[in-house]
Amino acid sequence: MAKSFLRRFTYFERVVHWVVGVTFVLLLLTGLAFAYPSLFWLTTFLGGGSAARVLHPQIGAVFGVGLLLMFGLWVRDMFLDSQDRQWLGAIKHYAAHERDKVPPAGKYNAGQKLFFWVQSLLGIVFVASGLLLWFPEGFGPGLLNSMRLLHYLATLGGGLFLIVHVYLGTIAYPGTARGMIDGKVTPEWARLHHPRWTGERVER
Amino acid sequence: MSDTLSIKRISASPSALIPLESLRSGGPVYSKLVDISKCIGCKGCEVACKEWNDLKVEQTSNFGSMQSHQDLSSNTWLLMRFNEVEDGDDLHWLIKKDACLHCEEPGCLFACPAPGAIVQYQNGIVDFNQENCIGCQYCVSGCPFDIPRFDKQTKTVAKCNMCIDRVEAGLEPACVKTCPTNAIEWGIKDDMLAQAEKKVETLRKRGYDHAAVYNPGGVGGTHMMYVVPHGDRLNDYSLPAHPVASPGPLRGLNVFQRIGSYLFGAGVISALAHFLAVGPESPEDHA
Ligand code: SF4
Repeated sequence: MAKSFLRRFTYFERVVHWVVGVTFVLLLLTGLAFAYPSLFWLTTFLGGGSAARVLHPQIGAVFGVGLLLMFGLWVRDMFLDSQDRQWLGAIKHYAAHERDKVPPAGKYNAGQKLFFWVQSLLGIVFVASGLLLWFPEGFGPGLLNSMRLLHYLATLGGGLFLIVHVYLGTIAYPGTARGMIDGKVTPEWARLHHPRWTGERVER
Repeated sequence: MSDTLSIKRISASPSALIPLESLRSGGPVYSKLVDISKCIGCKGCEVACKEWNDLKVEQTSNFGSMQSHQDLSSNTWLLMRFNEVEDGDDLHWLIKKDACLHCEEPGCLFACPAPGAIVQYQNGIVDFNQENCIGCQYCVSGCPFDIPRFDKQTKTVAKCNMCIDRVEAGLEPACVKTCPTNAIEWGIKDDMLAQAEKKVETLRKRGYDHAAVYNPGGVGGTHMMYVVPHGDRLNDYSLPAHPVASPGPLRGLNVFQRIGSYLFGAGVISALAHFLAVGPESPEDHA
């Protein structure tokens, strides 16, 4: 008998996710190169310092568009309800894998929802400050220097988020990453992580 | 002679924070001294700068001033600014020789993320190496004097290099050489400072009570100093009264970048520690 799965993400959602993911990693690598002289060699991934300076903001523009699409696709599901608030109160147990003490999550748990909102906010900071740094002519030094600081602080937040996101999505919770690869998850996985979510069933 | 080109600081390298001077010493430290009271506004220095440095000539236009160009550019490293100031019925030209001041603590170099794009020599010269420049223009907002200019064609930044090739050969910069009134002088910085004090004294005797030397401490002093007859009106000369090498946001950036490097490490380590503590959680564990 064919095993059945649940559809977690559509093709379009997956494409948008990976556009944002790949551009963000490229941006992070070159951004770190600009922030830390000892990491300047990372510009090599985009063809050296001058090329990285040209490409970083262009890739940033793609990243911005991807993020906007992502926002539009997912914002509906991202508002916290009362069970989400209880979930946040039990986040200790979630991290300790004490399932019986964690209130059931819907399609997204409260952590993912907050992740979404913070990431959207960081995206605005990235794009706004990045635009000024991309075309600095005509802006005063005080403003531009502050934008550099802001752009870095967003990088710090975004970089730490990436570490958590990749860790949880891969080795911490096996079966999760597949939702972003061919878009399917097993019913067992869904029952464990998102008991309140009733996804569309698909056959193999 | 090699002493004149000993390096002091290199952008985006440890020496940007801890200058190399402790390793070498004894070479001459130079400075230009611009006595604005002696400038007759002939702009010979502008021409000499263009000629020696082989800078492209730009189309200029009459914009109602004696000034040659409206602004500095990547091809105009020196501009005599004819600041017009009215004083009752009098009109004063408070001329400013607008060019890199070659700061002892160069904000441009501190702001630069490209290793070796900006180099400061022991002799005081701050030079841009275009082959290492990535065109980010951070130096432009790092400079408290609004000096570096971006070249859209080459996508690099340029400014006065104090005729480093002449200085290296034991000559004075081209503008100094050409000035017919000796309004621009060149020599050992200490001598130039003494000279400047004398000039200020003379000006005060002549009734310029606020005559002063411009060698601002906020950037550690400069290697182009001015004698300004109206030291109380720096603004009118378009000279910032309190320039600083590292303004607040950039100092903050340095602090956060340092903290950030630890946080990134801590993030990775925490994830690994969590994994080792509780391991993966898969559906089978709960079957
Ligand atoms: S005046 Fe500006 S460009 Fe010149 S050394 Fe100082 S900070 Fe750098």
